[in-house]
Amino acid sequence: MNRRDFLKTAIAAGVALTIPGSTEGLLGHLDAAEKVDIAVAHGISPQAITKAAIDSLGGIKRFIGKGDIVVVKPNIGWDRMPEYAATTNPEVVSTVVKLCYEVGAKQVKVFDRSVVDPRRCYKQSGIADAAVATGGIVSFIDDRKFREVKLPGIVLKSWPLYTEAMEADKVINIPIAKTHGLSTLTLGMKNWMGIMGGSRGRIHQKIDGSLVDVAMFIKPTLVVLDAVRILTGNGPQGGSLSDVKKLNTVIVGTDQVAVDAYGATLFGLKGADIGYIIAGHKAGLGTMDLSKLKIKRVNI
Amino acid sequence: MTKKIRMVTQGIFLLIFLWLFLQTESKGANDLGYPVKIFLDADPLIFLTTILSSREWYQTFYLAILVIVATVFLGRLFCGWVCPLGTLNNIVGSMKKGHPSTQTANWYRFKYYVLIFLLVSSLFSLQLSGIADPISLLIRSFSLAVYPVVSYATSATFDAIYNTNIPPLVNVSEFTYSILKKIFLPFQQPFYLQSAFVGFLFLLVLGSNLVERRFWCKYLCPLGGLLGILSRYAFLRRSVSEDCNDCGACTHVCQGGATPNQAERWKNTECIYCTDCDDLCPQNAVHFGFMKKQPVVGMDLGKRRVIGSILTGLIAVPLMRITPIARAGVSDPRLIRPPGALEEKEFLRRCIKCSECMKVCITNGLQPTLFEAGIEGIWSPALVPRIGYCEYRCTLCGQVCPTGAIKRLELPEKNKVKIGLAMIDKGRCLPHAHATPCIVCQEVCPTPKKAIWFEETRVKNREGKERVLKLPRVDLELCIGCGLCEAKCPVLGQPAIYVTSVGESRSRDNQLLLS
Repeated sequence: MNRRDFLKTAIAAGVALTIPGSTEGLLGHLDAAEKVDIAVAHGISPQAITKAAIDSLGGIKRFIGKGDIVVVKPNIGWDRMPEYAATTNPEVVSTVVKLCYEVGAKQVKVFDRSVVDPRRCYKQSGIADAAVATGGIVSFIDDRKFREVKLPGIVLKSWPLYTEAMEADKVINIPIAKTHGLSTLTLGMKNWMGIMGGSRGRIHQKIDGSLVDVAMFIKPTLVVLDAVRILTGNGPQGGSLSDVKKLNTVIVGTDQVAVDAYGATLFGLKGADIGYIIAGHKAGLGTMDLSKLKIKRVNI
Repeated sequence: MTKKIRMVTQGIFLLIFLWLFLQTESKGANDLGYPVKIFLDADPLIFLTTILSSREWYQTFYLAILVIVATVFLGRLFCGWVCPLGTLNNIVGSMKKGHPSTQTANWYRFKYYVLIFLLVSSLFSLQLSGIADPISLLIRSFSLAVYPVVSYATSATFDAIYNTNIPPLVNVSEFTYSILKKIFLPFQQPFYLQSAFVGFLFLLVLGSNLVERRFWCKYLCPLGGLLGILSRYAFLRRSVSEDCNDCGACTHVCQGGATPNQAERWKNTECIYCTDCDDLCPQNAVHFGFMKKQPVVGMDLGKRRVIGSILTGLIAVPLMRITPIARAGVSDPRLIRPPGALEEKEFLRRCIKCSECMKVCITNGLQPTLFEAGIEGIWSPALVPRIGYCEYRCTLCGQVCPTGAIKRLELPEKNKVKIGLAMIDKGRCLPHAHATPCIVCQEVCPTPKKAIWFEETRVKNREGKERVLKLPRVDLELCIGCGLCEAKCPVLGQPAIYVTSVGESRSRDNQLLLS
């Protein structure tokens, strides 16, 4: 293939991608007219429910545009296999990557600052392989790419954050719902610890305000909370299948506090039981009052 | 011609060695997938001394026996054609200018004395052969010094370019860097406590080639000595025809110091079949080939010196053992051995300090000791959790250990092995001593039911305001001593939670709990 042929095919492919994409976008806008705040999809296929939940919110087209550089931030914190629910479901991650490319994203990057050995975390969680399979650019954290930034200052005045997350056009947070010793639960907002550099252990001393500071700074385009499996005990690392509960659910929203507040209900708790959700609500990051939100449920 | 084939062969073996060395690193899977310790498996000195000191047949012996048989028939081909340290000596030696001195004619004996010392001491259960074995020495030097140095220098260079922030330059350098990272550089910069020491010794070995080519191989190498003895009656021999006019050219090129200029005094036990003499001979009088019965030149080691080496080997055993540190409770509490390590005495009988386990350790936590385990245990592996913890689902150290000093464990088995126990220093712990929330240790604790749990209490701060605080506690039954809590404890310097060896599964005496 010479260069001209290549260009022709590339343009053709581009057009092919754009046409259905744009009609879907129109439909998406119609859906969006309903003003769904949180979409909760339930079903046995992680791929299908991820797509369905995003579609309920107006489709990926509403959030990702052509040529966007997108960062997808799953939880790849631990050396556990998917069935142990310590890391984000790989199919949910790969589906989001795929959806982004379908609407013309230029690059979809996937990374997380693992707590234990990154090689094992990326591999054993299944996330690296799954994301690469749908075209995701999977990379390990490069220590040189942290930059000290000013934060809102509820607790943290500044902290080194990962430049690739800050410089991306769009950021999609894909946490998994788990228990956590200190913060009771780890959901969306706590997942931002994966783009924090420095000595994260110190965050624990004032965790609620710190998490809100980072969440306010990052402002994700979308939060996709993976509850295909949730970890109900010995979190966030888990390790026992008896602590895992299969919910076959994915929750999607744009309000970080609202999605986390909904996530709390999966464990029989309320947003008001979780310190950082309260702190986020108070700081105006979002609302934890689920009764004021339009929640759309779909079963597949 | 033969010389060229020999050089190509050497190059191939060196490349295989280096490639396997680079593969001694996790890619995130449970197994490495490559026979990374194959050179050690093929090492007859390691093979023999391990059998003697452990009094057990050792599992992966086929290659070592193959080398022994080959040497008996073919002579020290291993030294001249295979040994990667020999090849490196060869390369460095080629930089030496001028003729070899002839003052050192009898020094060749010294390697036999080293060998006798090692064999005798291993017969009495002291395993020191890995300190001087060329393969073990080379892997140790590469793992602990050469590779970290190369990695550090390379990264520092690329970091410097990266920090210039000149876009076209950075793009090119980052691209190059990413390729180097893929094929050659380690996943993360390795750091070792004995790097400078081990590196310095390695420099001495290489540097000695500038005093005399293959100084190490001729005078010091105990494996060379062992293969020399085995090759005494080998069939592959050298002959010199009557065309020889005693020009002496062969003496200057001889890599083994086999005195080739005197055909009848040619020491076949010193010849490593480099065939340089054949290649060079102006008269084309030298030939190598299979020959039957020829007079064998005596090794001329000297009875007294041999007896001296034997006695030294004998005395070394109690000398190294009359230290109190072998007793439970006296031994260094921070001597945390890798999971699967045998009981300390058994462990030391097998560990050859090759540092394969340290090279492969996924967190860099396995570090060479100095004297923590006695002189006998120098450069043996110990976990230093502040540098790196033991990864819960990793079993790589047991996979690469060539002698079974660290048993190969399957994952479920490994997850039960205690390498020590964690204890909390309440005087430094943030919640315990300073009423400050933390419990990072509890968060990271990797056992399925967390060995670190917390107790909730109410405390008053200075202003009299009450708050709920979570105080960490260690469940000694569940703790496996992996040290992840210590590694992540935010109390830097002296950590507020730390692991010591007490409670380690491998020891009968070094226990704490009644059960």
